[in-house]
This record gives sequence, C-alpha cells and structure tokens, in this order.
Amino acid sequence: MANVLLRIVLLFAPLSALSFGGGQTIIADVQHQSVSVYHWLSGQEFADLFAISRVSPGPTTLISALIGWHLEGFTGAIVATLAMYIPSSVVFVVVTLFWHKSEGTRWRRAIERGLAPVAVGLIFAGAVAVMESMHATTLAWATTAIAACVVYFTKLNPYILMSAVALIYVAVFYVPL
Amino acid sequence: MSTLEESAAAPAAQNVALWDIFTAFVRISVMSFGGSTAAWAYRAVVEERKWMDNDAFVAGMTLSQVMPGANPVNVSLYVGQRLRGPLGALVGAIGMILPALVVVLVLAVLYTRLSGYPLTHFLLLGIAAAGVGATFSMGAKVAVRVERKLLRYVFAMVAFVTVGVLHWPTVPVVLVLVPLSIICAAMEN
Repeated sequence: MANVLLRIVLLFAPLSALSFGGGQTIIADVQHQSVSVYHWLSGQEFADLFAISRVSPGPTTLISALIGWHLEGFTGAIVATLAMYIPSSVVFVVVTLFWHKSEGTRWRRAIERGLAPVAVGLIFAGAVAVMESMHATTLAWATTAIAACVVYFTKLNPYILMSAVALIYVAVFYVPL
Repeated sequence: MSTLEESAAAPAAQNVALWDIFTAFVRISVMSFGGSTAAWAYRAVVEERKWMDNDAFVAGMTLSQVMPGANPVNVSLYVGQRLRGPLGALVGAIGMILPALVVVLVLAVLYTRLSGYPLTHFLLLGIAAAGVGATFSMGAKVAVRVERKLLRYVFAMVAFVTVGVLHWPTVPVVLVLVPLSIICAAMEN
C-alpha cells in the first residue's frame, strides 16, 4: 500500500509543479501514466473518471483524487489530492508574494493595465472552449445566454439560478414539446 | 515602503477573518460548474465583499491561468494571500478544494448507478451551460472596464482568437502578448 501511495505522489507531484496554463494541460500525461505505464485503470475506466471530474464543480484535476480513490480508497484520494495541489500551490504563493507587496506601485499599475485586455480575451476563449468540449446544443447555448444575462443584470443568488436551470431541464426532459 | 504605497495598499489591512475567506470559497466551490469558478469568485470577492478591486482581481486571474496549478485553486490562493498572507491562501485553497473533493467522490460512488439514466447527462449539461453563462457575464463586466483604446481591443481580440478559435496553448500566447501589452500601456503615459 505504501508503495502505491508513493507512486501516486511520484506521478502527480511533478505534474502539479509543471502544469503551466492550468490542469487541462496535464490530463493527457495523467492518462498516459495511469493507463499505459502503471496499468492502474483501463482506458474506459479513465474515460469514466474524467467524465465525472468534468461534470463536478471545481478543478478538472480532481481526477487525481478519483484515481487515488480507485487505487487505495479514502487514503489514496487524500494523498493524490495533496500531491496534485501542494507543489503548484507553493510555487504560486511564493511567486505572487512579491506581487502582493507591490500593490499601488506605478509598475504594478502598468502591468495590471496591460494584463486586463489579454484577460478579457482569455475569459471568452475559456467560455467558448467549455461549450465546444460539451458539444453544446441550441438549448445549451440558450441556457448560457439567459444565465449570462441573469448574472450580468441581477444579483440573483447563484444557487437559485442553478436550481431553476435544473428544474427547467428536468421539465424539458419529461415534458415532450 | 513609502507612505503613498501604504495608503494605496490600505484595503488589504481591513483584516478579513480567515473563516470568512473559507466560507466564501466553500460557496464558490460548490457552484463552480462549467469552469465558472473565476466568475463566481469575481462576484463574491470584487462585487459583493469588495475585498479587491477589478484590476487586482483580473491581474490575479491571469497569473492563475499562466502559473502551474489548477486555475480555481490558484484564484483562491491569490485572493486568500492578498487578504491574509500565506495563511489566508491556505484557508482559501482548502475552502476551494474540500467541497469539490467531496462532490466528486460522491459522484464517483453514484456514477455507475446514475450514468444509466439519460437525464443525468442532460441535467449536468444544462448546469454546466449555466456556469458558462456566468463566465460570459464576468467577461462582459471586465471588458467594459478595459480602457477604451484601440490597442487594448486589439490585444483582447488576438488573445481570444488565438486561444479560443485557433486553440493555441495559453502559456506561449500569454508570454508573448502580455509583455507587448504592458509595454504599450506603459508607453502611453
């Protein structure tokens, strides 16, 4: 067991520290290592776990927890989660330490002004990427458009929004139009 | 540090309780379907609690995307650290990861049973689509705050087209665009 836990750490910790650009950039590596190299899961099992991590809230890299769970139950899930997030988090906190101290300085203002337009492009790019990856239908695009307007123009509690969407989808599913 | 810098950084001294950071991110975590973490964090941190201004949050979001680590976790680290230093970062990240971890494990246990029903997939798709709506809303809010200058629009469009349409990887695109954008912003003064 300790051996497997160690291997879990050795798989996820280096990938964590190298996941420049976010979790999705290392999923292919995780798949290759866990399926082809270690034979921890079959291709189909990996696909199932990936589907679960995709539809869950939070980061997609929580697939690491699912793989850990698959191997060693609760302990495996915890160890994999820690291995996945501690290295990248330490790097992030150390690097941004200086950034936070510089608040209000002139060079920091220039950086913020330069970052803002690029951020806008990336926000919309990310939204489009999610819609593409889930093969959005007309209904899904309509949901997105309406939700966007609700969030933009109102202060409606997100839980109410999400619950309303769920109810409408259940209704649409059972009531043929 | 000069007095001017201290006064500019004053909002950080509002000493937000660690518990408030934790609960804020727990709430964000459980509704972050369809990659909408940053959108809900923007609403909670910038609009509702006013822990940070638009520009500081947006800059942190971009750092979160480029640096190693999952974007949602990095956003929670960024906000937590800005408010209460490394301890705040730790608390924010735990608030972000823990609920999502519980949900993903519960879903994994139920998955074999639930995946047999077509409704499951249909429903999750709808909720994810609503999450994307939150992201579009945040994108619009951040966009209207960008300075109205042609070059800003050009950089925003290039970032969107290269990453969103042409599917180029984010990191190299950002590493080229951001320095150019910053130089342009600095030279205008």
